[in-house]
Amino acid sequence: MAWPPRTAKQSHTPPPYRLGVSLSSPQHLRAAVAAILLCAASAWPQAPKPAPAYAGSEACAACHDDLAKAFRKNPHQGLEGRRDWQGKACEACHGPGAKHAESAAAADIRNPAKLPAAESEQACLSCHRQAPAQSGRIHGGHARSQMSCTACHLVHRQPEQLTLNNPAAVNRRCAFCHAAEWAEFQRPHSHRLVQGAMSCADCHDPHGGPQPRSARAVSANEPGCFRCHGDKRGPFPFEHPPRRLEGCRSCHEPHGSTNPRMLVRAEVRFLCLECHSNIGSRPALGGLPPAFHDLRSARYRNCTICHSRIHGSFVDRRLTR
Amino acid sequence: MRLAALLLLALLLGAQPPAAEAPPAERNLTGAVDFGYRVLSGVGGDFQTYRSVVNLGEGPKLFALDVGLESPSRRLFDRLDLRLNSWGGDPYNTARLEARRQGAYRFTADYRNIAYFDFLPSFADPGLERGVFLNQRSLDSYRRATDLELTLLPGKRFTPYVAYSRNASRGRGVTTFVLDANEYPVPHMLRDHSDNVRGGLRLEFPRLHLALEGGGITYHIDQQVYTFPERNFGNALRPVFAQTLFLDRGNQSLDVRGSSRFARASFIAHPAGWAELAGQFQFSQPESTTRYSQNNTGSFVDFASLQLYSAQLTALDSRARQPHTSGSFTAEIRPFRRLRLLEAWLTDRLHNAGSALLSDRLLVSGQPPDSRTLAAAQRLALNYNQQEVSLVVDVTRHLSLRGGHRYVWGNAQTPPPLIALGTPPERPELRRHVALAGGTLRLAERLRLAADLEAAPGDRSYFRTSLHRYQRGKVRARYQMRSWLLFTANFSVLNNQNPTPGIRYDFLSRQNTLAAQFTPGGGKRISLLAEYTRYTLRSELGYRDPGAAPAGMSFYRDNGHAATGLLELGLPGSGAIQPRLSLGGAMTASAGARPARYYQPVGRLAIPFGARGEWYGEWRWYALTQPFYLFEGFRNHQFVTGFRLSM
Repeated sequence: MAWPPRTAKQSHTPPPYRLGVSLSSPQHLRAAVAAILLCAASAWPQAPKPAPAYAGSEACAACHDDLAKAFRKNPHQGLEGRRDWQGKACEACHGPGAKHAESAAAADIRNPAKLPAAESEQACLSCHRQAPAQSGRIHGGHARSQMSCTACHLVHRQPEQLTLNNPAAVNRRCAFCHAAEWAEFQRPHSHRLVQGAMSCADCHDPHGGPQPRSARAVSANEPGCFRCHGDKRGPFPFEHPPRRLEGCRSCHEPHGSTNPRMLVRAEVRFLCLECHSNIGSRPALGGLPPAFHDLRSARYRNCTICHSRIHGSFVDRRLTR
Repeated sequence: MRLAALLLLALLLGAQPPAAEAPPAERNLTGAVDFGYRVLSGVGGDFQTYRSVVNLGEGPKLFALDVGLESPSRRLFDRLDLRLNSWGGDPYNTARLEARRQGAYRFTADYRNIAYFDFLPSFADPGLERGVFLNQRSLDSYRRATDLELTLLPGKRFTPYVAYSRNASRGRGVTTFVLDANEYPVPHMLRDHSDNVRGGLRLEFPRLHLALEGGGITYHIDQQVYTFPERNFGNALRPVFAQTLFLDRGNQSLDVRGSSRFARASFIAHPAGWAELAGQFQFSQPESTTRYSQNNTGSFVDFASLQLYSAQLTALDSRARQPHTSGSFTAEIRPFRRLRLLEAWLTDRLHNAGSALLSDRLLVSGQPPDSRTLAAAQRLALNYNQQEVSLVVDVTRHLSLRGGHRYVWGNAQTPPPLIALGTPPERPELRRHVALAGGTLRLAERLRLAADLEAAPGDRSYFRTSLHRYQRGKVRARYQMRSWLLFTANFSVLNNQNPTPGIRYDFLSRQNTLAAQFTPGGGKRISLLAEYTRYTLRSELGYRDPGAAPAGMSFYRDNGHAATGLLELGLPGSGAIQPRLSLGGAMTASAGARPARYYQPVGRLAIPFGARGEWYGEWRWYALTQPFYLFEGFRNHQFVTGFRLSM
């Protein structure tokens, strides 16, 4: 029941809605004047609010002893020596904490890990915006999906946990969200990620980058695959165009496959013929076959037996040597 | 009496309460070392497939060493970290050294050595039906990569750095000596290395960051193909022009020297609190020069002149150059607190020009040598552009929605097909309008849901299998039901179609993953991590066998299940000895074009001793079965015993 109880008349005949404001009645006039005065009063410069007070790192450590201990070796500890944040490194990220120190209420302190990603990110970027890794941030999927920095970086921990360098630890952290990709590495033919010889960050830049899937580049703008597969770098006088036009993924599953050489098809001939088919399918490239072989013969069931330089040849246009 | 007094004094001293325990001094050396011995049961099935897939060997191993040293004086370094993984003959071993001193420098050295063995007859064996098990594209090589980087930290404004990388590969394999009408499997020696030096400077100002980098790379590829001193009849079984073809002796030598110089500049500007701009410019120009020589004797046929010949001498010089320019620009504008406008632009331009001059001499019995010189040139160009605008609205503190548009366009120039030499180059175009949508939902810090969708109506694409008319979706969910129970689920789908007559491409791929983490009490007594993925892939594409078979459809299916899991149990123990038992592993079972079952279960018992030691025993089983290629299956038990010592 509403309070105060309405009369029967009030409840059955609501006041008529009007467009605009009529100042015909004195009540309306008084209300308008009051509203104007209220607005003017709110616009009037008021005495500035007192700045929230800082508690200092020692006050934080008094309750958060475990965090303070771990934080001692954290690179963020260096803030203690900076002029702006001397003696209050915790509050550089968490904001002024005097009120929280008094009340001990979680609501009285900013916790970047629990903020919406956009706000949490700003807390980190206020210092780290200039880091070179951030130059491709907006291209990246993590920024698009609003992953906050604290999803990967354990800010209070020791340096090796703050910025992971151990491939196995990096992979565990990535697999936590990218479980489907982790499953791809369990297939028989895969990059040696599960074994810890490589990490996801060897090929992808988790902060984002201009390349699709935030793939890393080497030597400025060459595909990151060439970091290890240097013999495929070229430039070849006789290139196989898909490699340049659509990258290694046009033929390979880079994470893992049940097919040998991590190919996207079980047999090489089908992989080749799906492009090199002599059906008039222009304007698609490769619509004409490079040769006419009798594929009933076992000799021609793997095109790369003869066209062994399939990534490009320094010698032969047919990519045979 | 004196003795009694001394005894009394000793008793009194012994009875004194112990001095207050001093706080434990911080240790300078921390980390752990993990070493042991691996024993393999005999490999059941095909040993070459085992080596191609697993390739782990027996013997004493240093599985891991991870130590950090803090310098009390902080004179040379503040902290030094050294990490070694899988040393002692394993097919992949890595090392990393990192040293840093605040306000002075940061140095990293990274080394990895990865063996690459591949001998799967099903991949490339024309003689398989005749019972010959020889992959004619097999490899037994290793690749070593070393990366060194030194960053100087003289102040807040300027950060210079210099880096050196070396990447080298060496090994042997089998390849084919390809001549007209026949190809001959022969041994192959591979060797290549590249040296990369780069240096740069990062400049930081209050609202602007600049990074400038320049460098160069040199590389060398040296490959040899040779023959055994015995007659090689190759893969062609039938005589050509009534003549049996064979290779008596042959040699191919490839010597490639290349270099590249590259430069990169990037900036991040923060002109106002509501705007962030960033951009990159990259340029590289790799070049290569090749010397190739070939000689072969035997019985061969030349289709160009329709004649038989007995020896051939070939020499070739070629060059290639590939200027490559890329640029990108992004902006994030926040006009209101809940609204963000994201703009991203990208361009990538690559031009490859190559030329070759070939001198060929055929020796035909009873005739003077047939000499010819051929010149060839080829050009490949690619211009790729992408423009994307997105709007992100934080509808509430818990819900963000995103929408946008991406326009991808470009063009390319590629050489004409081999059978249409003399025709103009092909000039395909790329054009794609993509609608983007997505959102993020966070509820009470327990549930997080992120969706990412894109769809394109299809316009122009380069290849028959390229993205054309497609819809792609990704949904990730994470639900922290309790502090000790977490569920994650991922769903992704890609549906791509190209209905152009003659192509009729229909592609559908789905991946669904469910994962759970159960760690009551912080996982001290029991913890369970489990993931299950179901994936399906269907591809249908119109094609025609070039051997003049009628047009048909190329079907490819890959439907499978993948699961990983690890159950850890704390067993009853006494005092510091609390054994732990772990059971788990991974498995993949797929059906379709190449069905395979790959199992990797693992069991491990770890018994701690002392405060910092642990003994463990581990069993692993690797098993691969492929119903269509039963000869490529294997089974192998591995037992490891070792110690893990913490410092």
